[in-house]
Amino acid sequence: MAKLLDKQRYKCALGAMQSVQAITRALPILHSGPGCAQKLSESIGSSGYFSPNIFPCTSINEKDVVFGGVKKLNSTIENALKVIDADLYVVLTGCIPEIVGDDSGEVVSRFEDADKPVIYAPTAGFKGNNYKGHEQVVDAIVEQYLKKSETKQKGLVNIWADVPYQDLFWLGNLRELEKLISELGLTPNTIFGYNRGIKNIDKIPEAEFNLLVSPWVGLNNMKKMERKLGIPYLHYKTLPIGATETSKFLREVGKFAGVAEEKVESVIKEHEDYYYYLIERYADLFLENRVINKQFTVVSDAHYALGITKFLANDLGLVPAKQFVVDDTPKNRREEIAEEFKKLNFGLEAEVSFETDGFKIHEEIKNHDYHGYPLILGGYYEKEVTDSLKGNFLNVSYPTQDKVVLDSSYVGYTGGIRLIEDIYTVAVQRFN
Amino acid sequence: MAYKIAVGSSDGINVDLKFGEVENFLIYEVTDNFKLIEQRAVPVENDANSTNATDNENDANVSEFTLGSNCEKSNCKSSGCGGNGGGCGGAEGVLKKVSLIEDCRCVVCRKVGFQAQKQFEKKAISVFDVEVPIEEALEKITYYYEKIDNHKTLRS
Repeated sequence: MAKLLDKQRYKCALGAMQSVQAITRALPILHSGPGCAQKLSESIGSSGYFSPNIFPCTSINEKDVVFGGVKKLNSTIENALKVIDADLYVVLTGCIPEIVGDDSGEVVSRFEDADKPVIYAPTAGFKGNNYKGHEQVVDAIVEQYLKKSETKQKGLVNIWADVPYQDLFWLGNLRELEKLISELGLTPNTIFGYNRGIKNIDKIPEAEFNLLVSPWVGLNNMKKMERKLGIPYLHYKTLPIGATETSKFLREVGKFAGVAEEKVESVIKEHEDYYYYLIERYADLFLENRVINKQFTVVSDAHYALGITKFLANDLGLVPAKQFVVDDTPKNRREEIAEEFKKLNFGLEAEVSFETDGFKIHEEIKNHDYHGYPLILGGYYEKEVTDSLKGNFLNVSYPTQDKVVLDSSYVGYTGGIRLIEDIYTVAVQRFN
Repeated sequence: MAYKIAVGSSDGINVDLKFGEVENFLIYEVTDNFKLIEQRAVPVENDANSTNATDNENDANVSEFTLGSNCEKSNCKSSGCGGNGGGCGGAEGVLKKVSLIEDCRCVVCRKVGFQAQKQFEKKAISVFDVEVPIEEALEKITYYYEKIDNHKTLRS
């Protein structure tokens, strides 16, 4: 039975073209109908060396459905290689060619000897959403491009975290994680964003380990790299926001990487001192219990729902109401993620619901007793419902309409401070 | 449900004619299988009044158009109707030819120009510009229509 999904928070797997875009000088080649790219692209800072949605595309039509579109795909790749100067060409397939059975992998394999690497990621919409598509792109790089390295670079760590563009703060978050990792004396390696790209992809196999900061997205990639490239991984489920989580994060990474404890503790101390200096200065604001709401709800992908819930409970001492994870988390991962929501300070536990239907989420929000005005952190969809409850609203996750983020971040100690600034900026507006 | 397919072929075996080159459309009827039921002649360019050589029920509409000699060379058939309508007959010539087979569900030719494609699109007639044996083309097309008409997936 067909089901209508109200207020969808993700795109189809082909939306992973944004992950390709985030890799400097990597070009998506779409084997899809005309219009797919147009619908999937948004003005969220994705223009640059290539335009945000004008990619080589086979623009397949009815004829290709009937007679197959492989010929068109072949010529599209061939000509893209001729006229567009990129470092990496990633063929992404939409629903149509995969339904009718085009062997895109075979066509791409014809370009094995091309001057530049051409790889292929099956991203048909019926295979899942763009979180899944993002994994497919990374998978394609690992499977079709990377080779096992005999030599390892000491202290080199690949960092995997946010899904670019789906997450507003992806760039800032990755950079902040890099900064934290380097302070431990390790060398971070990421492939997304400015001045990274193919040279960083080439370094992946030389890393000592992979660091995945995400509840579930990317875990399959880590397992694949462990198998194929022999790189062990550390799966850190919570996006570290604020002092409590970030210190925990640094200790765990330090332990995994064999960094001396004194070194880790000195890094933590320096950051915490400054962090708590800031908190202390504004203690009157934080202790004034009329300013901030008593209970909060996060409506977001697992990444932010978990990170922000821990931060607001542990660092700000707020009480979690029900939290909503809207990224269609795979069923087999839900239980362990729900467990994470129970690991809060002060003996607190947060209830979490894996729900993709915006209507149901809003009904639950409306029917919950927040003991006053609610604090809702979510997508733009939650703005109206929060308004109707006279609550405080902050747009932290997709879709984002009332926030512009260039490179700021909610990760780490500074990220926690940014989030406090943003939340309290909203909160004080009620009285001023 | 039965429907018709117009094919551009010089030998009855291969789809080898461009839309503009076709003098006789091979009309296939599809029921459970497909069979050739008619050869529909394209009226000669300058002879506006002889368009009733076919059983096209819309002949009346067709002859309403002024069939001025956009193409000076009355026997020119070689280049077909070019992309900008500058070939034989121009835009109106194309329209006339499109109308000739508008009772068909789709048209299969080696190449179909931009003008013609747009005109077919307006009439919701599908265009398949392919260069394959007729039999192969019809098998694939009828398989496709059979699936979508019955809401069956094309997934193989």
